[in-house]
Amino acid sequence: MDDPRLARFEAVYRETYGQITAYAVRRCDSPQDAADIVAETFTVAWRRIGELPPGEEAVLWLYGVARNVLANHRRGEVRRQARSVELDAEMADLYGAAPDSGVALTAIAEVFRSLPDDDRELLSLVAWEGLDRHQIATALGVSRNAVRIRLHRARRRFSRALAEAGVRPTPESRLVPAGRSL
Amino acid sequence: MKHIDEIETMVRPLARVAPGRHGGSPSGAGARTLLASITSEDPGTAVAAPRRAWRYGPRRLVLGLAAAAVVATGVVVGPGLLQDGHGVSAAYAVTRDADGIVYIEVRDFRDAAGLQKRLRDLGVPAIVDYVPADKKCGEPRATYVRDFPPGLYSVPENIPGERTGWRMRIDTKLFKPGQTFVWTITDLPGGGGGTSTILMHDPVAPCVLVPDDTPKMKVVDSSSRRATRKGGSLAGYRVDEKTVGEVLPEIEKRGLKATYLIMAIPPGNPGGFGELRRQDTPVGDDWIVWEAEEDKGAPGVVRLLVTDKRYDRNPVYGGPRDDVIRD
Repeated sequence: MDDPRLARFEAVYRETYGQITAYAVRRCDSPQDAADIVAETFTVAWRRIGELPPGEEAVLWLYGVARNVLANHRRGEVRRQARSVELDAEMADLYGAAPDSGVALTAIAEVFRSLPDDDRELLSLVAWEGLDRHQIATALGVSRNAVRIRLHRARRRFSRALAEAGVRPTPESRLVPAGRSL
Repeated sequence: MKHIDEIETMVRPLARVAPGRHGGSPSGAGARTLLASITSEDPGTAVAAPRRAWRYGPRRLVLGLAAAAVVATGVVVGPGLLQDGHGVSAAYAVTRDADGIVYIEVRDFRDAAGLQKRLRDLGVPAIVDYVPADKKCGEPRATYVRDFPPGLYSVPENIPGERTGWRMRIDTKLFKPGQTFVWTITDLPGGGGGTSTILMHDPVAPCVLVPDDTPKMKVVDSSSRRATRKGGSLAGYRVDEKTVGEVLPEIEKRGLKATYLIMAIPPGNPGGFGELRRQDTPVGDDWIVWEAEEDKGAPGVVRLLVTDKRYDRNPVYGGPRDDVIRD
């Protein structure tokens, strides 16, 4: 007999795989780590299929799961997944084209990396996953108000850290380190 | 601070996979192997988040303010649960689906015997007792089940579109032999009602009414109201999830005086809270405010419901305030 849970999971998997892999690759330094996060996130989703929300909330929920998996991973609590070499290889492909590594971007990336995890995650969810406040609130299971406040603070801290590092945006929003002439 | 768009403009190029683009493809070999490997295992019965069971001890879990508020495991309190159900269809509705999940909507608890029979007919080993105000069932009636199965029941929640009553879901497959779900339904002074739902080991002694001399439940009475409601002294201002330091200036600006209710949060923060104490002396600026209330007889004074640290969700509402309160 066909299990409706299986059909549902496969549909969600197909729909969200691209987004969840992008999420993991953007946040992991190595393809192996990203593959672990992807595998563990979908494993958790399968185990908790009964909680998987319908429609487009599914991907938000998965972002929330992936976020927790990532946090556990950073604490060394995620067991290495038994995965196929193909998955590792596919993830590795995504690491080939490194993001623009201009001087200014490197400086910004350094400041960005120095932010507290929570700040970085909020700013990333906005800039990388393109989520709005409401979607972030859903993904993280907190109120919109909390997202608003935390986002505001994250932006403020990022701005401050950029200023301290001497990085400032140009009027055209191209980015150069302070002190360099245009 | 820099303009929001500017921050985004700076962060976007840092993404290894460009914003808007997908990472891997689900039709790739790795993706397909992963899917097959995950779904080769039975998802099992771990359908619900590990929601820790909270059995109340000396301090009852109470619900502060929300009209149809939500408490995960201990006690549900809400005004109007016992009120006459004008315009509602039935005191309760209990249905069961093919998977053994029982859906319950309760609007009026006084027919405890009827509710109990209906629950039992549908496979919920329940005892339902109705307890008048100022009484309680003498304890102990039985030992409590400690290894509470995750997913046994859902957090009670509002019935959409209705002001009173609540609904919940029980997975009857998760009861083990020899367990009984003991519901005690209570009238509260002020017209509200509450229920506690506790999973106990058989045998469960009958409810013998004794005077309720335990520390009083914080009753949702008509004299204590949300200060942030429309018409309240903090109307139009949200205090939930802010720090005390953030909220105090607004309170001063409005010429109000702040007092504090120090909340006790049960393990796992399932929703709901106890009351450690009330005080006028200030708490730290970094304490977290979850709601503000005020008493009818004390104009100009607001009571901040606070904890000394941040929790992952608002204990007053068992989640975001927006899910419960529509301003």
